[in-house]
Amino acid sequence: MAVSTIHFAPRNAARYIIWGFTALIFAIAPFIFTQGFALTLMTQMGVFIIFSLSYNMLLGQTGMLSFGHAVYAGLGAFVAIHLLNAIGKGLPYPVWALPLVGGIAGAFFGVIFGYVTTKKSGTPFAMITLGIVELVFACSLMFPWFFGGEGGISSNRVVKDAFLAQTFGLDFASSIQVYYLVAVWCFVSMIAMFAFTHTPLGRIANAVRDNPERVEFIGYNTQRVRFLVVVVSSFFAGISGGLSAINFEIVTAENVSAIRSGGVLLATFIGGALFFFGPILGAVVFILFAVALSDFTKAWQLYLGVFFVIMVLFAPGGLSSLILMNLRMAAKGKFRQMTDTYVGVIIGGIVLLLGIIMAVEMTYHLTLESTGAKGTVMSLFGFETDAARANPWVICVSLLLGGLAIFEPMRRQFVQKWDDAQVQIEVDEAKKVVL
Amino acid sequence: MSANTTTFSALPLELKDVRKAFGKTEIIRGVHLSIKAGERHAVIGPNGAGKSTLFNLISGRFPASSGAILLGGQDITRKASYDINRMGLSRSFQITNIFGNLSVFENLRCAVLWSLGYQYSFWKNLNKLTDAEDKADAMLKRIGLERRRDIKASLLTYAEQRALEIGITVVGGAGIVLLDEPTAGMSRSESDRAVELIRDVTVGKTLIMVEHDMSVVFGLADRISVLVYGEVIATDTPQKITENAAVQEAYLGGHGADHA
Repeated sequence: MAVSTIHFAPRNAARYIIWGFTALIFAIAPFIFTQGFALTLMTQMGVFIIFSLSYNMLLGQTGMLSFGHAVYAGLGAFVAIHLLNAIGKGLPYPVWALPLVGGIAGAFFGVIFGYVTTKKSGTPFAMITLGIVELVFACSLMFPWFFGGEGGISSNRVVKDAFLAQTFGLDFASSIQVYYLVAVWCFVSMIAMFAFTHTPLGRIANAVRDNPERVEFIGYNTQRVRFLVVVVSSFFAGISGGLSAINFEIVTAENVSAIRSGGVLLATFIGGALFFFGPILGAVVFILFAVALSDFTKAWQLYLGVFFVIMVLFAPGGLSSLILMNLRMAAKGKFRQMTDTYVGVIIGGIVLLLGIIMAVEMTYHLTLESTGAKGTVMSLFGFETDAARANPWVICVSLLLGGLAIFEPMRRQFVQKWDDAQVQIEVDEAKKVVL
Repeated sequence: MSANTTTFSALPLELKDVRKAFGKTEIIRGVHLSIKAGERHAVIGPNGAGKSTLFNLISGRFPASSGAILLGGQDITRKASYDINRMGLSRSFQITNIFGNLSVFENLRCAVLWSLGYQYSFWKNLNKLTDAEDKADAMLKRIGLERRRDIKASLLTYAEQRALEIGITVVGGAGIVLLDEPTAGMSRSESDRAVELIRDVTVGKTLIMVEHDMSVVFGLADRISVLVYGEVIATDTPQKITENAAVQEAYLGGHGADHA
């Protein structure tokens, strides 16, 4: 046992460093990105990181594909915002602890709906979750006293919490206070969810993902395992719901919708379900698309969709596994033999991307905005461009063709070299094990 | 070791007129079998005789259509597989059935968690459960995979995966172990090593195995049951089985004496 303690020591040290670094990023991020918009963005990222990580408890860790995870975050948010209104009317409860109530509400609905959904696994499970999310969404119009009908429920997070406001100046009137509230909850939730992966239930959940049949023969009821994971995951989803209630001060039926559920699936997959930190990356990228990119272009969903498809096709492990694979290549010194093709792929990819963006933006402009004041003239990469004239389209098509001409052959060479290097690494590793 | 460890002593198993029909086809047609605690019992029979189905009925993978199965005197006929496992019966699979994305060590650690009483807890740190770690590491050593401890189980060679399969089956301390063709697809030397392993890890347990390789059967079994078309036509010592006329007729085809 003494041996095993020593064995784990360096790994623990690395872990403290990583968590310490994460905390540092949370703490200093507002001083690096000082624009008000950046703060909004980062606050939403924090909320979505919790949501994505909770979703990955199902998808990546237990192998359950859910189409209805927003139900738990959304219902948690509704309960939280009703409580926030009650606090506004004088209920003595601290606003900063509101997400906890959201989490408990999420877990409560996790118990109810999870009992139904986890009776099945695999595709039937996915289908039932889709049914549940539609059911809850339909309920949102049936029970306006709880869901607020079409307008949703709105609230005000700045309440007369005399003690906190006077003692610590903590009244959540400024968005920086909300950011730090989200940051603290996000950090704590991250640690808790990471710790979950190192518990008996967390590990058996992995076993259920790999081989549910065998799990039944080592003493575990797989249905019970799936149910408990849904409840724990709903708890964290509810926390993210509670935070979004504080952040936006409004909760609508959209919060419990299939669209929101699809969003968290997209984010988790883009980040990568195989590694714990994957959904964190996914949430950051997703919010960049949904909140930042949507300010620049109406076509953001199209870009997100294309990006998602490309990830599924070429990097099914998501961004996290892309990064780790590249790091492994670098660590084994295999980059030297493929630098030229790597650069070629990137250049070709950028040219191709420019062509695609031109085509998409000009098409969008022609169909949606050409009736506006400026007619068919639009601003593209800072240039005044008339989308109805031939010139920009000639440039666009040449970019597309040129990009393709560089990208495709380079990609083939690159894949070849990458696979060779991968095999080399495997062989070297295998030798090491045998010797 | 923690105090709540459950390690079972050898358990007896009894089957009374067990039947199983899929639709109108009866695969198991009234099996009677009585296996004593600590016995090493082999079930042999031609392909399609229902050997694997019999294992699936005993281990609760499918429910029997009728009859009774008693484990250590308790009726387990209608119980779920995890309940049967918790009562001390563990089984392996003919087709390797491991947790492919988990490391070899994690495969074994998962398989001891229930028997150590950790159940579904999500408030305990797995890495601090030294009893689970010690048990898994001890089994790792016994099945000869210490050097493969931290690699993904799906990357093991076939013979190594079979060894891990046996390790997962016995590491939880079951009192009765069912092995479904543990040496299928192995070379001679691999299979000899597997027999040694099985002998070693099933000491003090009841063992029931389905096996096609007669040298394995005759090397390991105290008694043999011959299953033909869903019925046990004979149960006896290896010596007597080879002399049994009905068995020779139905299965061994007169070559049985060569193995005796």
